[in-house]
Amino acid sequence: MNNTIVSYLSQFESYKGLLESFSSMFGEAGPGLLTFLVFLIGCILVVTVLATIGGLGTYAERKISADMQARMGPNRVGPYGLLQFLADGVKMFLKEDLIPNKADKFIFGLAPLLALVGVFGTLAVLPFSSGFTLANLNVGVFYLIGIGSLVGVAIFLGGYASNSKWSMLGGMRGASQIISYEIPVVLSLMAIVLMSGSLNFGGLVGAQGGLPQEWFIFHNPFTFIGFFVFFIGALAETNRAPFDLPEAESELVSGYHTEYSGMRFAFFALAEYIEVFVVCGVGAAAFLGGYNVPLNLGGEGILGQVLQILVFFGKTLALYYLVIMIRWTYPRLRVDQLMTLCWKYLTPMAIFNLIGCALWIYLLDGKSVWDMLAAFVGSMGTGGGH
Amino acid sequence: MDNVIFIISALLTVTGALCVLLTKNVMHACVYLLTCLLGVAGLYVTLGADFVAATQLAVYVGGVVILMVFAVMLTGGPTSQSSNKFGIVKVPMMGNAKTYIIGIISAVIFALMAYKVLSRIIISIQAGELPAFTETVEKIGFMLVTDHVLAFEISSVLLLGALVGAAIIARPRRGV
Repeated sequence: MNNTIVSYLSQFESYKGLLESFSSMFGEAGPGLLTFLVFLIGCILVVTVLATIGGLGTYAERKISADMQARMGPNRVGPYGLLQFLADGVKMFLKEDLIPNKADKFIFGLAPLLALVGVFGTLAVLPFSSGFTLANLNVGVFYLIGIGSLVGVAIFLGGYASNSKWSMLGGMRGASQIISYEIPVVLSLMAIVLMSGSLNFGGLVGAQGGLPQEWFIFHNPFTFIGFFVFFIGALAETNRAPFDLPEAESELVSGYHTEYSGMRFAFFALAEYIEVFVVCGVGAAAFLGGYNVPLNLGGEGILGQVLQILVFFGKTLALYYLVIMIRWTYPRLRVDQLMTLCWKYLTPMAIFNLIGCALWIYLLDGKSVWDMLAAFVGSMGTGGGH
Repeated sequence: MDNVIFIISALLTVTGALCVLLTKNVMHACVYLLTCLLGVAGLYVTLGADFVAATQLAVYVGGVVILMVFAVMLTGGPTSQSSNKFGIVKVPMMGNAKTYIIGIISAVIFALMAYKVLSRIIISIQAGELPAFTETVEKIGFMLVTDHVLAFEISSVLLLGALVGAAIIARPRRGV
């Protein structure tokens, strides 16, 4: 059965009491209604928190870039300029909602929404903790890849509908880039799926441990390379520098969202920042041990759940910081370099890693390097006697 | 309450499909097709086929629709006064006696084929109970590499052939 937040909550007595009161109030429809309500509250919570993180992402980007360039960055609105993103939001609301004269109005309006839908759809399977995962689908990884590709459609449609050459070029670059880089990303995730034998994020994270030597990134040489292939591919899939060709400011003004203003533009920006978080979360879950707390501190109770959420967010935000730092460090690639990197380097490496992981499982029973090292050292220690 | 997901998915599918037929803008048709395909994924979910639903999302929503939009955009364009830049707006009457006769004959043939396929299901139609939810991923995985390994290998060779063919077609010709 698929594990959801409902199936986690239903082990508590208070939830059972709530269920009974709902059943007595609404009769047959009671349990269904309660399930719906729990999901509704969970979804609202996740979407709100992640939208705030997306907003804070824009702040963090400006602050970190300012730090790297020896500037101050935003520091007027709120303490340390923390509320800058709210001020930006208000500004976006008040901007005139421009639609170019000959734009395809239907698709022009739809594209930003589609981008947000694609990103919010991925939040459903993101493993925040062992209990608080909205839906731990048993095809979770596959679902995330599928629904996440809506963003590519949205970027392309947005670029197309604007009726502008800059947008068009940006949209085409975006679509081809996202389709291409999906291959190395999915293949390196596939290696992890192979190691854990599970397509759901719960199984993926459950196959790892809290301490670094139990993470999949340090499991064997192939997964170690696989993490970097995944990370580079993920950067390209989320259109982050050095792969931000779809919105290359120096050539395309602002790429696929050149013609967008006001809230529609804000939707695209928000979708991008949340997508970066989601991709970092997937990287943390698949390679860096996910929500596993070191030494299983906190146990199974509420405290454990809180610690798990903190650990997950900590790992994800560390990756997020890395993504922002990379943006302000490396220059942008050319289009041909982008495609060369994907098809001639990353994809063969990902296939090599996949085969390597399969052989590792077949020949070495899927034991990690550390296990074998420990066994070797142990045999040295005890075997020295005779 | 139980049927909510089914009703939403069915509405998405049917309205999406109808809009694809009724719109005169090819680009819009692609977008409507997207909703239709999402609805079909929802229908698979209500049937408990989670793997097929995720495949529907990954293959059709992510891949096929983008390819269609690309194809429409690269092939389309203003050809005459009767069409605008988004595709065909003013369609001239496409039919004459010959096309209508061919259309009717192919419709009859298609209907007979559909009847042949569906007749067994239609005859024994009854509101059945869905079996209890089981994990389909593992079963599909085992079936693919045991019972259906030949079909699996043939389709993978076919896809590899398509990939190599595409690479050869797209290869820049030097010295020509």
